[in-house]
Amino acid sequence: MKSVRQAVLILLAALVPAGLTAVVHPRRPPWSREKLSPGEERLTTVLAWGSNVFWVDARSQQEYDAEHVPGAILLNLEEWNSLFPRFLDQWSPEQKVVVYCSSASCEMSHEVAVRLEKSGVSPVYVLKGGWEEWKAHK
Amino acid sequence: MESAQVTKVSRTGARLQYVKIGRFLARLLLGGLFVFAGATKIYDPALFATELERYQLLPWKAGVAASIYLPWVEFFAGLCLLVNRLERGALLLITLLLIVFTFALAGALARGLSIDCGCFGHTIMSTGTIVPLLRNLVMLLLAGILWMEYR
Repeated sequence: MKSVRQAVLILLAALVPAGLTAVVHPRRPPWSREKLSPGEERLTTVLAWGSNVFWVDARSQQEYDAEHVPGAILLNLEEWNSLFPRFLDQWSPEQKVVVYCSSASCEMSHEVAVRLEKSGVSPVYVLKGGWEEWKAHK
Repeated sequence: MESAQVTKVSRTGARLQYVKIGRFLARLLLGGLFVFAGATKIYDPALFATELERYQLLPWKAGVAASIYLPWVEFFAGLCLLVNRLERGALLLITLLLIVFTFALAGALARGLSIDCGCFGHTIMSTGTIVPLLRNLVMLLLAGILWMEYR
């Protein structure tokens, strides 16, 4: 009983700085998050899938050459016919495909994801926040 | 006869001394680890909230509340154990937290999630869940040693 009483005291003491953290801490987490559009996934969820992910970069060749997610392959609509066969060579059906473009506002990743699904590739997800999110996380 | 008794008493005394030192070290290690773990998470609660999300156990808002509150509980519990004040309550909280963390890690392992345990913020990023799981079991053992004092 003494242990429980002391534990409650510690729990109560922790409430005070925790309350301050929730209000003034510069690195406090936000209470609400943007909702996901259909087919979108957050980076934290994708990272939790581990190695079972096949990254697809839907940006331009130039952006891809500058920097990309390790292991990602280039696949955009402009060069679809030449790049898609390479995708099929490297992707294995048990892998989840995650497509990204430059930022949250770009639509290219959604368009590539739709085209992949129409070509029979499944499951396909779009990375919320795109490359910007990846860079921010790393 | 008398000398045999003296030898027995001195052996018992030496044994008690070892037990005392063992408990002191267990308290130092367990308390120190909890103060350190709490402090690293207090420094960056947003990172801890993201780590918690990877376990896929709590809705976001509950994870945020936990990421703000739990590090302070860890910190105070560790500190109380270190300075030997409210030590039974601190030990109770530490034991309960270790049990919860161990189940969370084991659950993540069973579901095949690839996550950093998030136990020490950015300071110790361990990939996979097995090492943190084993570390938790060792810490539970230390907690067990300390509980023996209150039997």
